[in-house]
Amino acid sequence: MEIAVCVKPVPESETRLRVAPDGRTLDPEGVKFVLGGYDESAVEQALLLKETVPGSTVHVLTCGPSPRAEEVLRASIALGCDRATWVEATAPLAADPVRAAVAIAAVLRSAPPGLVLCGKQAGDDEAGLFAGALGELLGVPDLGYVVDLRWDATTQRFRFQRVTEAGLERWEAPLPVVIGLQQAWNDPRTAKLPNILKSRKAPIAKFPADPAASTSQSVPEKFELPAPRNGARMIEYKTPQEAAQTLVRILREEAKVFP
Amino acid sequence: MTVLVVGETVDGHLVAATRETVSVARSLAGGPGGVVGFAAGAHARAGAGEFGRLGISRVLVAEEGRLDRAPVAATAHAVALAADAAGADTVLVGGTTFGRDLVGRLSVRWKAAVSSGVTEATRVEGGIRVRRPVFGGRATETRRLTGPHFALALRPHAFPIPEETPGTPQIDTIPPANLPETLFAPQRTALEGASAGQGPSLGDASIVVSGGRGVRTAEDFRLVEELAASLDAAVGASRAVTDAGWRPASLQVGQTGRSVSPQLYIAVGISGAIQHLVGMVSSRVIVAINSDSSAPIFRVADYGIVGDLFQIVPALTAEIRRARAT
Repeated sequence: MEIAVCVKPVPESETRLRVAPDGRTLDPEGVKFVLGGYDESAVEQALLLKETVPGSTVHVLTCGPSPRAEEVLRASIALGCDRATWVEATAPLAADPVRAAVAIAAVLRSAPPGLVLCGKQAGDDEAGLFAGALGELLGVPDLGYVVDLRWDATTQRFRFQRVTEAGLERWEAPLPVVIGLQQAWNDPRTAKLPNILKSRKAPIAKFPADPAASTSQSVPEKFELPAPRNGARMIEYKTPQEAAQTLVRILREEAKVFP
Repeated sequence: MTVLVVGETVDGHLVAATRETVSVARSLAGGPGGVVGFAAGAHARAGAGEFGRLGISRVLVAEEGRLDRAPVAATAHAVALAADAAGADTVLVGGTTFGRDLVGRLSVRWKAAVSSGVTEATRVEGGIRVRRPVFGGRATETRRLTGPHFALALRPHAFPIPEETPGTPQIDTIPPANLPETLFAPQRTALEGASAGQGPSLGDASIVVSGGRGVRTAEDFRLVEELAASLDAAVGASRAVTDAGWRPASLQVGQTGRSVSPQLYIAVGISGAIQHLVGMVSSRVIVAINSDSSAPIFRVADYGIVGDLFQIVPALTAEIRRARAT
């Protein structure tokens, strides 16, 4: 099975967010870009399938500028992906999930894989639009919010679960399909040092972004950080009952969130 | 400008996330007359009828029973047809798993400028300006979308549900589209309730009560559950609780669990590690109950009670029951 896994470099989760000088985006100065939690789960899922379905290969793709795009590809190779493709693109292009999907689809179309995996959203913009856009571009159904994707060789179908507002959904799907994965359900592996060293020399196929991805329908105008909260208003009390009564009154009359 | 509101139904009823889109739809359409509803699936007509009580006078339906078990991709094709039939320039949907998947497809299918998790949407010269939280609520971005088509998934709980009024909409059927068979290949085979008998699900609840390490034992976590029950709230947990196996990982709120943004979030015995904060900081009102007055949770909370949760929480549960009964 040919498995493609699409990843996006995102700021490390502990990054202290700052606004860029133009006020429109996150200031990337000094920010370390890594595989996000959702993408880690997607790569782990790809590797688990590779280990259980004989003859599988994992192709990792990303879209973005240097050096962050190359870094996440090498990190994915170190984890066990077989080959890597880098669609070179500006940061604004890569930050738009629809344009990124157009750029990635242009590469995948030449040899469509059966299975495309990605995180169900990116940890930075939390858009969750990439899988749907990519699926539509490839003419393939997509399903997001997926956990635990398993291949049933007898029926030639995947079995998986989705966690939605309605509850736990069980699904079956044949190839081809695009799957967006939930994070943190499969305990992603960490790379071993020799593999990290080897990944530094691994070949990476490079493509320019398809011209179709140059049209933007979504332009960032402002990036704002919330005013620091002043800290909680502490409720004074003499008895637990008094604390409870005060809080209920506040929730009802002031905050207006009492059911 | 006409706005198409895509109805998401469960058992023939429009979900809260759909109802929340109506006020935004009116504002983007410049009045109630420009809002058209859409419902798909076997129970499309029942959902369509409910649009009438939200002040929407025309609804398009695609009564295709097999859409109910198929991926959103198939519904997206029907939505694009309906939007064109209605002459709409904008599609609005509640930003549930369904809504977010839908607008992703529409970006290509309907060549729409799209955005998800939207908390503000206004018409501006040549487009629509949207605001949305990013980085788990640690920042907010404003984007300008340029058309001619727009598809927005609104963040659940960010907008009020309008009062219902009597009304029966005109219902028009969209002819069965030539929906590609490939989009029906994946099939939902089963649906298991989120937490049958345990109140609303974490992602959908307007109130969430979470417990942390301070609860001390699996057995005492029931204090958190009783408080949640008194508010008809969903139950959440910090990583310490799920790692210890006191409660299942599905309840975990935080970076490696669910992100929630309810109207009210009550943190019980949670110190407030950044891991947890990124999953709940965008909640509208945050209450923290903790024995340590220097706990970081108090820096993001709106209201705090410093004290022994084993005394405070039962008192609070009793007071809430009393207040709601009167």
